[in-house]
Amino acid sequence: MWRDIAFALALILAIIALAYATTLRGLGPLPPDNLRNLAIAYLKTTYNPFKPLFTAMAPEAVTAIIWDYRGLDTLFETVVFYGAIIAALTLYREVYKERDVLPLRGLSLIVKRSTAVISIAILSVAAATALHGHLTPGGGFQAGAIAAVAPLVILVVFSKIFLESRGVQYTKLLTLRNLGLLGIGLTAIALILVGLALGSNAFIFQNQAKELARLSYPSKALDVPLGGSLWFFNLFEAIAVAAGFTLVFMVLMSSEELAKREVVGEEHGY
Amino acid sequence: MAIKIPTLMYMITVLSLYVNIAVALYAVLAKPNLVKKIIALTILGHSVNTFAILVGYKLWRPGIILQPPVLTELEPSRRAIEEFVTRAVDPLPQALVLTAIVINLAVTLFLITLALHVYRHFGTVDMVKIGELKRGALREEVS
Amino acid sequence: MNVADLVFSMLAISALLSVAATVLAVQAKDLLKAIVFSAMQSVAYTLMYFLLMAPDIVLVYAAVAVGIYPLALVLLIKKVGRYEV
Repeated sequence: MWRDIAFALALILAIIALAYATTLRGLGPLPPDNLRNLAIAYLKTTYNPFKPLFTAMAPEAVTAIIWDYRGLDTLFETVVFYGAIIAALTLYREVYKERDVLPLRGLSLIVKRSTAVISIAILSVAAATALHGHLTPGGGFQAGAIAAVAPLVILVVFSKIFLESRGVQYTKLLTLRNLGLLGIGLTAIALILVGLALGSNAFIFQNQAKELARLSYPSKALDVPLGGSLWFFNLFEAIAVAAGFTLVFMVLMSSEELAKREVVGEEHGY
Repeated sequence: MAIKIPTLMYMITVLSLYVNIAVALYAVLAKPNLVKKIIALTILGHSVNTFAILVGYKLWRPGIILQPPVLTELEPSRRAIEEFVTRAVDPLPQALVLTAIVINLAVTLFLITLALHVYRHFGTVDMVKIGELKRGALREEVS
Repeated sequence: MNVADLVFSMLAISALLSVAATVLAVQAKDLLKAIVFSAMQSVAYTLMYFLLMAPDIVLVYAAVAVGIYPLALVLLIKKVGRYEV
């Protein structure tokens, strides 16, 4: 009880000090009134046909920053995401591969039919968001998060046994996720492999032609700007993220009988 | 010195974000139920992300119409690019916050799985009761 | 009043709504109410992201904080218990 009061007093003191510092222009003038130089550099070169050696050929600046200017950050963020999913699945390592045992029926007929219609709409919106991510706001993560809602709703309305008997099983989802990550890795080094075959240099995560390496991804598809490697990155990232979330939801929704098998023997202390 | 409306409203927004962060932090520290802690942790993460984008809203001069950082001309002339640079909002905090949202989601899903596992082992999710159970088990082992 | 004043006023109103929703979420004893209040706070934040000209984040946030978090947390409290004490 004294500890709670001490926490509350410390936090109130912190708010008052921060508010005082902010009123004295600690964060700069409010509201702020000019752009940083780094942002000006990114915005000038994101779609600039007059400087073909510095540009990313994608009209959307945020996607270009994520997959071209700061591509290595995103690669490691995907690794962290993969690690968290693996950690969540390891807790159930005795039971995740087995089929469920309880005969379940799901909810009523009206709910089932409307869920079937809506989940097709959700999946098509997710596919559209992934594929136009370099032209308008959208992209890989957004599409993966939208596409992860559909399996969750289907798992609740129909049952897990229904989904497993229709072929959405643990091993197949794991294969899909690994294919997505393999795709991201290959897109990052594809130009190096092509350069080995043709005998010239290339950089990792290279998108357009640079001064020392004259290979590049195609920058227009017929007459629409294709952001080079950004389109491929968005596609593979959406597949990987959606499959990863579905795996965690399937493990979270196992029935109690199956999950009790995991905890057997833990009171003896291992 | 008369305070203009935009400055006052911006200050109110910044202060209410500070209050949100403090209240969520207090709930993480002082409430004993695990699910309440997880809910408060997600609120804390969201408030910090909003603060990052609020600070990155760096371009406001009266008279300019702002634009999100998406170029809308597919055959731009040099003048169009210059105008885009003078009107667009900073794109860098948005890219960083996108990464942060996905990582927070993965870690929160892992925490939910852990809370379920704790419930199956101990039978309760109240940290005070779990502490008493563990102290009782330790006394049994020692004696 | 011109457009700039209106935009900043909408920002301040959404921020105050989110403070109210956070305080209500933290002191609720029924965990289902706490989850609903946190979803309300996320809707206020989505409006703030839209006013701050960040459309990519609106797409992720609407799917994640109003769709996935409440669903997963409701599944959790179904299994561990709905009331706090």
